[in-house]
Amino acid sequence: MRTLVVGGSGSGKSAYAERLAASLAPRRTYVATMRNDGAEAGKRIRRHRSQRAELGFITVECPDSLVAACHDGGSGVVLVDDLGNLVANALFAPDGTMADPAVVLERLVGEVEALGQSYDHTVLVGNEVGGEGAYRLESTNEWVRLIGALNCRIAASFDEVVEVVAGVPCHVKGGVA
Amino acid sequence: MVLVIGGLASGKRSYVRSLGYDDEQMGTRAYDGKPVLVALEELLRDGPLDDAALQDVSSRAVVCCCEVGMGVVPMDPKERAWRELVGRTCAALAAEAKRVVRMVCGIPTIVKDGGAE
Repeated sequence: MRTLVVGGSGSGKSAYAERLAASLAPRRTYVATMRNDGAEAGKRIRRHRSQRAELGFITVECPDSLVAACHDGGSGVVLVDDLGNLVANALFAPDGTMADPAVVLERLVGEVEALGQSYDHTVLVGNEVGGEGAYRLESTNEWVRLIGALNCRIAASFDEVVEVVAGVPCHVKGGVA
Repeated sequence: MVLVIGGLASGKRSYVRSLGYDDEQMGTRAYDGKPVLVALEELLRDGPLDDAALQDVSSRAVVCCCEVGMGVVPMDPKERAWRELVGRTCAALAAEAKRVVRMVCGIPTIVKDGGAE
């Protein structure tokens, strides 16, 4: 089964996605998307790794591409948290230069497809960042549009789309209405 | 009228295309004679619509508006007034609409369904 979990900041989407992934298979792979770009990030990454180890997840670091996770043995459940980081890292280089959003979109759609074929179950944590309309900074808008477009493409092909609202999972597609 | 709301890049126009309208039938201005009005939020940049313009908008087959009020209340008073106006205008149109659809990840979720036409 392939599930896209979305929600606003602090909505409880990661906690729900972890519960869901843990319920699907005993073999659990976690795809972390934070870029390790300093001491603070490194510390956070180490803390998250040990938290997830307790939950039985093996962590694969994929800050800007899912390719590394697609060759990880190919069974059990894979959890990606989250697409917002992945999209930002894929779109913007560390020096701030921006890639072509259309190219990044097609690449990520292909990688999500490959990831889905590598595991029995896929759970992706997405972001809902378009609820504030357009931003003043055009580069921010490119990121918001790319996330929106990626969400639409993934939702169209996945079995389930769940919007977490105040911690409550609401099925937008599939599952129990 | 069907009111279609959703965040930026949530799939509103793709949904309108799925209803059988092409891009030529989508306009952004009052009185342009097109069956579909898109980006209602931009039409509200200069303040509220007068009664005639509002009447024109609510006579369309489909109206699309970006949800803009889900984040932080802006510091800028003009921005603040605008997003408030967008929300109030959508609420007024939703009261008139026979159906209100909110797009989530390209999937239409039904907020209001007034039943058969």
